[in-house]
Amino acid sequence: MLRAISLVKSYRAPAGTPIRVLAGVDLTVKGGEIAVVTGPSGSGKSTLLNVLGLLEDGDGGEVWFEDTRVSGLGRAAKSRARGRYVGFLFQSFLLLPSLTALENVLLAARYVRRRGGATRRRAIELLQEVGVGDRMDHFPAQLSGGEQQRVAFCRAVLNDPPLLLADEPTGNLDDANGAVILDALRGRARSGGAVVIVSHRPEAAVGASALYRLRGGVLALP
Amino acid sequence: MRSLRVLRGYLFTVIGIAIGVAGLVALGAMSERIVRFIEGGDRFVLGQISVAGRGMGMGTGFTAGGILPAATIRAIADVPGVQGVQAQIMLPLDPSTSQFMTVTQELVLGVDLSVPTPNRHYRTLPVRSGRFLRQGDHKVAVVGASFAASRGLSLGSHIALEDEDYEVVGVLDRMLTAPDRFIIVSIADARAQWVAKDRLLRTVLASGAMPLNANDLNTGAAVGWRDGDDPDAVAVRIKERVPGVNVQLPSELSRLLRSSTAFFSALLVGIGALAFVIGGLSLANTMAAAVFERIRDFGVKRALGATDLQLGREVLAESLGVTMLGGLGGIALARSLGWFIDRYLAQSQQLFYFSPRLLGGAFVFSVLLGAAAAVYATSRVVSLSPAEAIRRGA
Repeated sequence: MLRAISLVKSYRAPAGTPIRVLAGVDLTVKGGEIAVVTGPSGSGKSTLLNVLGLLEDGDGGEVWFEDTRVSGLGRAAKSRARGRYVGFLFQSFLLLPSLTALENVLLAARYVRRRGGATRRRAIELLQEVGVGDRMDHFPAQLSGGEQQRVAFCRAVLNDPPLLLADEPTGNLDDANGAVILDALRGRARSGGAVVIVSHRPEAAVGASALYRLRGGVLALP
Repeated sequence: MRSLRVLRGYLFTVIGIAIGVAGLVALGAMSERIVRFIEGGDRFVLGQISVAGRGMGMGTGFTAGGILPAATIRAIADVPGVQGVQAQIMLPLDPSTSQFMTVTQELVLGVDLSVPTPNRHYRTLPVRSGRFLRQGDHKVAVVGASFAASRGLSLGSHIALEDEDYEVVGVLDRMLTAPDRFIIVSIADARAQWVAKDRLLRTVLASGAMPLNANDLNTGAAVGWRDGDDPDAVAVRIKERVPGVNVQLPSELSRLLRSSTAFFSALLVGIGALAFVIGGLSLANTMAAAVFERIRDFGVKRALGATDLQLGREVLAESLGVTMLGGLGGIALARSLGWFIDRYLAQSQQLFYFSPRLLGGAFVFSVLLGAAAAVYATSRVVSLSPAEAIRRGA
């Protein structure tokens, strides 16, 4: 499902000197697989996920979703590819504060033009499956961190994307809630999705198809 | 429901825009008020030839002069090109007040109702309630809107003029020019008031030094001209053929009026420019800030697949809603403020005039500027990568 070839990404330090974060990353994740990437803080894990998910452009290399080289697409096509292929789960949840839980989930459908009764029913089902069905009319500020991340998970999978990218999905959660989210991600892989998890928590590696460590800008086996 | 929530999220933006628009509209309304006053005066002086008796009597019309006897009025009527001469008396209601500030002066106007009003632009004055004067009326008055408001007068009210009781039979529409502060009475009544007011005149009449009768007591006359005649040429002809009169050429008077109000005109331009800059900057800044505040939301939406176009449309729709609401709120705020100041603080003067062109212009201006500011801010936001937008928003 996901293929990254020789990804390169540098940032410019305040002094103007370039800092190479990704120095030729290769990664392949098939449907049904979970790839877990670990590494120390600042090693470039989030940058890797952003480039894989087309949230920012790499300086070199290629990203393929199925048979499409998405890294070479234009801005609008990249946006459409994100909507069609990728679901994101962020450490800080990134729910929109002015929307209810249900509306936050439905937001994922808005930009891929999948609005309608069936989508709404699906969103409610998802919220019930992860145990926040009774909080669907609540705003993010009225939800706990665990509940917010569950809502964010529902948003990530509403369009049934073939690829799920999770950036420290349990970083702001207690162990119990972290376990719920990791279970949900594993369930996603069991149902055929490709999942990439960036995490520094050891329990994230449980059930992983592949475990990598990002070091010196390249992926290596730990 | 969701739209209401979105707008509630923009509450402070709406308030900010409303304040900016209110400032713009309020300053604009003051400008419009002054423009109306100047235009009204200009229109009046261009509609008639104004003639006064030569001298420096107590008449206070803009042709300030002495007595204009009946024989002189007949002589004016005989001048070729003249069509209609209406004898008039213009007196200050309170002679002790300054003669210089005619802009706000309350005047008694006596008109000879046996001849039609010759002023081409003011054949009749608009009456809001009651009626205008009729020939044969005695001890009745028609009052201007500001005068009525300042005295609490309405139809059927009574007012004492030189210790005589007058019934108000009509109240004029607000005209935003001099007649707003007029008390209009029949010329016979005005003559009686003149004699009562002016001790020198009483002395002259009592001495018999001047052979005057009641019909000679006029301070001026409004003179009309025949169709096709040049009013300035007719005015020059009157000056040449009728001795003992002050004649103002309409165009000259208009020029005088405009030059004397040039300061106000310059002030208007300044106020307008200031309102434009302050109101516009406030509005644009508020709208742009509201968009930049949501930079993280835009990053999330782009992560979910929103294209630049979809986001742009969304922001434009929201910003139009917000600026429309802010614009309408600002207009309502300015109107309330204007009403309050006019009603309670301006001593019955109307300081604000909210013309349709001002309100429409301010509304369109605020919506367009707000939308432009939102589009600019959005274009800046969408130029960032979704990851960068999320990072900055955090």
